[in-house]
Order: sequence, then C-alpha cells, then structure tokens
Amino acid sequence: MLRIADVWKSYGNLQVLKKISFEVAEREVKVIFGPSGSGKSTLLRCINMLSPPDKGKVYLCGQNLMAPEINLNEMRARIGMVFQHFNLFVHLKAIDNVSIGLRRGKGLPKEEARAKALKTLARVKMEDWADHYPAQLSGGQQQRVGIARALSMDPDVILFDEPTSALDPELIGEVLQVMLDIAKTGTTMVVVTHEMGFANAVASEMIFLDRGIIVECGTPQHFFTSPKSERVKRFLKQIDILYGRHEELLKLPNEEGSK
Amino acid sequence: MLDYWDHILPGFVITMWLYIWALVMGFFLGLLLSIIRQYGGWVISRIATGYIELVRGTPLLAQLFLIYFLPFSINAILEAQGLPFIPIGRWSFHISSEILGRRITIVLLDQQTLVGIITLGLNSAAYQAEYFRGAMSSVGTRQLLAAQSLGMSRLAGIRHIVLPQALRRVIPAWSNEASYLPKYTVVVFYIGVVELFAQAHYIVTQLFLTLITYSLIALIFLSLITIISKALDSIHKRTSIPGL
Amino acid sequence: MSDIPDLPTIFFYILRTGLPATLLLTAQGLLWGFVLGLSLALMRVYGGKVLGWIASGYEKVFRGIPLVVLIVLFAFGIPGLFWFIDPIERPLTGVFLALALRSGAYQSQIFRGAILSVNPGQMKAARALGMSRFQAFRHIIFPQALRLSVPSWSNEYAVVIKDSSFAYEIGIIEMMKAAYRVTSNFPELWALSMGVVAILYFIFTYPVTRLFGERQTKKLKELGMGGG
Ligand SMILES: Nc1ncnc2c1ncn2[C@@H]1O[C@H](COP(=O)(O)OP(=O)(O)OP(=O)(O)O)[C@@H](O)[C@H]1O
Ligand SMILES: [Mg+2]
Repeated sequence: MLRIADVWKSYGNLQVLKKISFEVAEREVKVIFGPSGSGKSTLLRCINMLSPPDKGKVYLCGQNLMAPEINLNEMRARIGMVFQHFNLFVHLKAIDNVSIGLRRGKGLPKEEARAKALKTLARVKMEDWADHYPAQLSGGQQQRVGIARALSMDPDVILFDEPTSALDPELIGEVLQVMLDIAKTGTTMVVVTHEMGFANAVASEMIFLDRGIIVECGTPQHFFTSPKSERVKRFLKQIDILYGRHEELLKLPNEEGSK
Repeated sequence: MLDYWDHILPGFVITMWLYIWALVMGFFLGLLLSIIRQYGGWVISRIATGYIELVRGTPLLAQLFLIYFLPFSINAILEAQGLPFIPIGRWSFHISSEILGRRITIVLLDQQTLVGIITLGLNSAAYQAEYFRGAMSSVGTRQLLAAQSLGMSRLAGIRHIVLPQALRRVIPAWSNEASYLPKYTVVVFYIGVVELFAQAHYIVTQLFLTLITYSLIALIFLSLITIISKALDSIHKRTSIPGL
Repeated sequence: MSDIPDLPTIFFYILRTGLPATLLLTAQGLLWGFVLGLSLALMRVYGGKVLGWIASGYEKVFRGIPLVVLIVLFAFGIPGLFWFIDPIERPLTGVFLALALRSGAYQSQIFRGAILSVNPGQMKAARALGMSRFQAFRHIIFPQALRLSVPSWSNEYAVVIKDSSFAYEIGIIEMMKAAYRVTSNFPELWALSMGVVAILYFIFTYPVTRLFGERQTKKLKELGMGGG
C-alpha cells in the first residue's frame, strides 16, 4: 500500500531524516514513536509531500510520489492527515470542515459532499455538533472533526501526527476511542503517538525513531517485553511515567476478550 | 452661505465618487498585491514589495503630480522629436440636471478626474495590501497545510481557506483605512478636480467667509467619516464568526 | 535658470532649497504632536470619564478632517489667531499648528495602544513592591510603553514628513515647492522632477521605518514585551 524507500531530508545544515525505509501493508496500523525533534512530523510530511524529501522514494499503491509527472494534489486527496493542533478551518462549521475537502479536493457536488460529511461525522460521534464552529468545540471534539475530515475522503492511508498530545488528559480517551474504532474497520494508518495503550491494542508494528534514524522496530509485545536498544528502554521508561495513566481510558480489545 | 448649496452638493458628489472608485480599485489591486507578495515567487514577490514600499514612502501629492504631468512630459519630448503626441483633450463625461430651479452639472470623468482616480486607487492599493498581508500571515501556514493535505491545490487553499479567514480578520483594520480614505481625496483639488474642497475655495473667493466655509467643509468630512466607520463597524459585528 | 537642468541639478536644487523647511516642519509637527499626544493618551488611560471623553473626541475630530482643510483653516481661516506673530510668518505657523494638532491625535492613539499593551502584571508587580500608582507608571509602565511605541512612532514620522508636502499650498518653499519650481519652464521635466522629489521623500522615510519599524518590532518580541 505505502512504501517509503531510502528517504533523506534536511533543513539547512540539520539532517532530520536519514535513510528511512519501511512499508505499510493494507489494513495495517503502524505506530511511530520517539523523542521530540527526532523527525516524526517531518517523516509524515515527507509521505504526503507537504515537504518533499531531498532523496528517496515514496510509493502509494505502486505509484512513486516523487515522480515529476504525478499530480500531487490528487495523491494528497488519497492520503489523509490528522494534525497535532487539529488545524481545523476556523471560519467553517464542523460540517463544512469535513465537506470542503470532498468539494474542493475531490470535486463532489455540494449536497452529496454534505451528506457524506454528515455520515462521517456520525462515525466520530460528532453529528450533533455539525453546525458549530471550531472555536465552540472542546479540543477532543475538534480533533474528532479533524479525524472525520481526513476520513471522509476515503483515503488509502491516514497519517496521524500526535493527535492527542495537545489535548487535556480527560479528553484523550474519546479521541483514542474513535481512532481505535477506525482501526478496527480496517483502515490503513500511520500513527505518531506516545499512547502505548493504543499502540498495544492495534499496532501491527512499531517503529522507534531517534535523531532521524530508525533505531528499532517490532511488534508491541517486542517493545514492551524485550526491547534491544538502550535508548528505547530509557525512552519507554519516561513514557511510562508520563503517559502510563491513560491506558485505563481505553476499552482495549483484549479486555473484551478478542485477543 | 447656504445659498451656495448648488456648489457644495456637486462637490460632495464628486468627493464620494472619487472615494468609492479609490476604495474599490484599492481593494482589488491591494488584494492582488498582497497575494503576490505573500505567496508569489521570489522575483514577483519582491516587485510587489517594492511597489508597496515605494508608494507608502512617498507623498500622495508627489504621486498625483507625477501621474498628472506624465503625459505632458512625454508630449514635450515627443514634440521635440517631431513625433505625434498624446492628445490631452478637453474631453469629459458629465451629468447635468435641474434641481430646485438650479442647473447642476457634475463632471464624472475627464482628464483630471481620471488621473485623480488612478492615483488614489494605486495609492490606496499599497496601503490596503499591507492590511491584507498582515491578516494573511496571521491566518498561518497550518491552515494552508491542512488544505493541501486534503488534496486542494495551493491556489484552491489560498482561495477557499486562507482568503475567507484573512478577509474577516482584516475587517477592523481595513475599516479604519476605508473610513479615513475620503479625506485623502482632497489632494485631487491640486490638479483641478472640482470636488468639495475646490468648491469651498470658490465660495471663499465669492463671500470671503473663510472661517465658516472651511469649518463647514471640515464638518462635512467629519460626519462622513464618522458615518462610514459606524456603518462598517455594525457590518463587522453582524458577520462575526466565533473564534475569528 | 534658463538652461535645461539636468538630473543632479534638479536633485540638489530640491535638496538645498527644500530640505530645511521640510525638516523643520516635520520636527516641529512631531515634537508638539508628541507632547500633545502623550498628554491625550494619559487622559484616555488614566484620566477618568470626562477627560477620557474629551481626549477621544479630540482624536476623532483631528483624524477626521483632511490636513489641507486644517492648514487653510489655521493659515487663513482664523484671522486673529496669530496676532502676536509677524504677519509674514503667520501661514507658516498655521502649517505648524495643523501638522502638530493632527499628529497629536495620531500619537495619542499610538501611546494609548502602547500603554495598554504593557503587560498588566507589570503594574501589579510594581505595586507589590510598594510603588505608588504614579511611581509605577513613571518607572515601569512608561519606559516600556515608550519602547513599544517606537515602531508606530517611526511610521508617524513618515506620515508627518510626507504631510509636510502640503505646506507648498501656502507658499512655503519645502521640497515639494522646490520640485515644482526647478522645472517650471520645462514641461518635459515636470514628471521627472516629481519622480525625483518622490525618491527624496522615500530616502527620508524608508530607512527610518525599516530600521525602527521592523527591527525594533523583532527586538521587542525577543524581549517578550507587549502583547502578553
Ligand atoms: N520547516 C522547518 N524548518 C527548519 N527546521 C525544521 C522544520 N521543521 C522541522 N525542523 C527541525 O527538524 C527537526 C525534526 O522536527 P520534527 O518536527 O519532525 O520532530 P518531531 O519528532 O515531530 O518532534 P515533536 O515530537 O516535538 O513533534 C527538529 O529539530 C526541528 O527543529
Ligand atoms: Mg511533531
């Protein structure tokens, strides 16, 4: 579905990404984590070409996004993105935030886009807030609209950039729950997050990124039971202290006995 | 004094006429300039910046005379070379009607008025562009990134996401510029456009009531500006969006 | 001058004959405008209801009247206004007054904005140290407000120097009038000399607004002043 091959990216003298390669299969959830400044956001922006890599290749369904003849706008319409700070369009109501991508990105007629947007809002349990402006919503609600905005485009893959890290602790649960539901429907996702409960529940593979290098990857079990690198161990300990408390907010599948 | 209403009225109409042209021309040109400056490539963005800074850094009066004299200067040069020159004719479009037994003629467009409109429009564009640019950069790049992540082109993002927000944000500052613009139209009096201030001059030569006449003109401008700014204010309140 | 003046001649003629008056008008307008503007701003911020109302009324009036109208009003409109001054200098005084009164209205806005954008925590902290309200203003708020107002103030300088060009109307030989004169017999040079005088004004405004406007704004941000 998505293949990143040998991607390099620098800002000025700062080499932010060094030889990043990995692959995301269809219906897979990939979690990327690592310390601040390690290049996670940059990596996501390289994937949808909001800031194209200096070197390397990004394939979506076999098409190389770096190829000059590719229509990037069309390709971006097929890659959803959820932002850390929501980035909702503040002049548009929730419903219009969701439908504008359908109209301007995909060229759907107004009514059709609206109907679809409403359906998508229902998936994130925001249909009752359709006529509110972003400023009238809580952070958690805004992020759910942000997720609906990405989801409504029926993208091949959705990129999440720390979708809960700007939220108050009591609002994180509702957003993770929505993401969990989406993951269970078989959506392909690349998620940058430090919510280890979420990762444990749905990630098929986790990638630890540090200073622009993939230090280690493996299943959640691997990371939580026997991480190899010293850096990973240290980082996971810090994460435990900071984030450990959110795990109980999630209705994890293994609690329901599905695992 | 009041018997000269048939001078004050057409003067006022001309002032408003110039004002509206300058405002509208300045708006569209200013918007264009600010978009170019903010999102254009290196070269054209520099050109837009240069234009804006030049206009803002020089007196309106100098700009007015420059544009007004330009055809004369070119003609003088052409004439010296024995070439045919630009006709600076005594052409004019005017409307004329009988009101309360007085014949009132209003010259809507002639050489001078055209120069006045062009100068005021070009000048106001530079000032308005700065307000627009400020509002655009306050919208932030994140909104444009979000738009692009949905598959909108850069242009579509600017048009559907950045501009609507910027235009709402700019209203308070822009209203300020818009309401004070009428008073800058006075300069065209120097090239012989017969607007309110020129009419006042004429009345003074007839009546020698200097203080009263100019005070009346001052009062008219003051009321006009107050009314415009109150009106724009109430429009702003009515169109406001939570969080913007 | 009967020879056709060349570009340097025009340039230096305008500079030599016009600049002194232009700078004098600008300096006077700015200086008196400063005194007036600061007083008005204080009236608006700390003066209570009546004084604040008077000050804001003043601002509205003098911002709403075109400068040219103010100039003719003070230079010709009010005959007994400058009875104590030599008649020849009366128009000049009228222009000074018009520039200063108008600039005062604008500077009042600048200073008021600056005072209000000093972080309110600063006043509280000063009072907590035992300073009186006046002391707190004098030693803490005012110095910050002054610095915060530099960018807008440099802009106001540009406005006044450009506005001083209207003095040409009443026969003061400043740069605009000089530009008008130098080529009056040569129509082919009219536009050129207007271009030259425009550039001259630009030379006197742009570096100042650039330096004090943008640089200072950056510096203030680094210091974390204002806004918060
Ligand atoms: N547009 C840019 N220009 C210059 N440097 C940048 C830019 N974007 C990111 N960087 C730098 O690249 C490095 C990686 O940034 P990035 O945002 O990808 O890190 P991150 O892993 O997402 O961190 P965080 O957890 O804080 O979000 C940082 O050192 C950052 O300063
Ligand atoms: Mg990041």
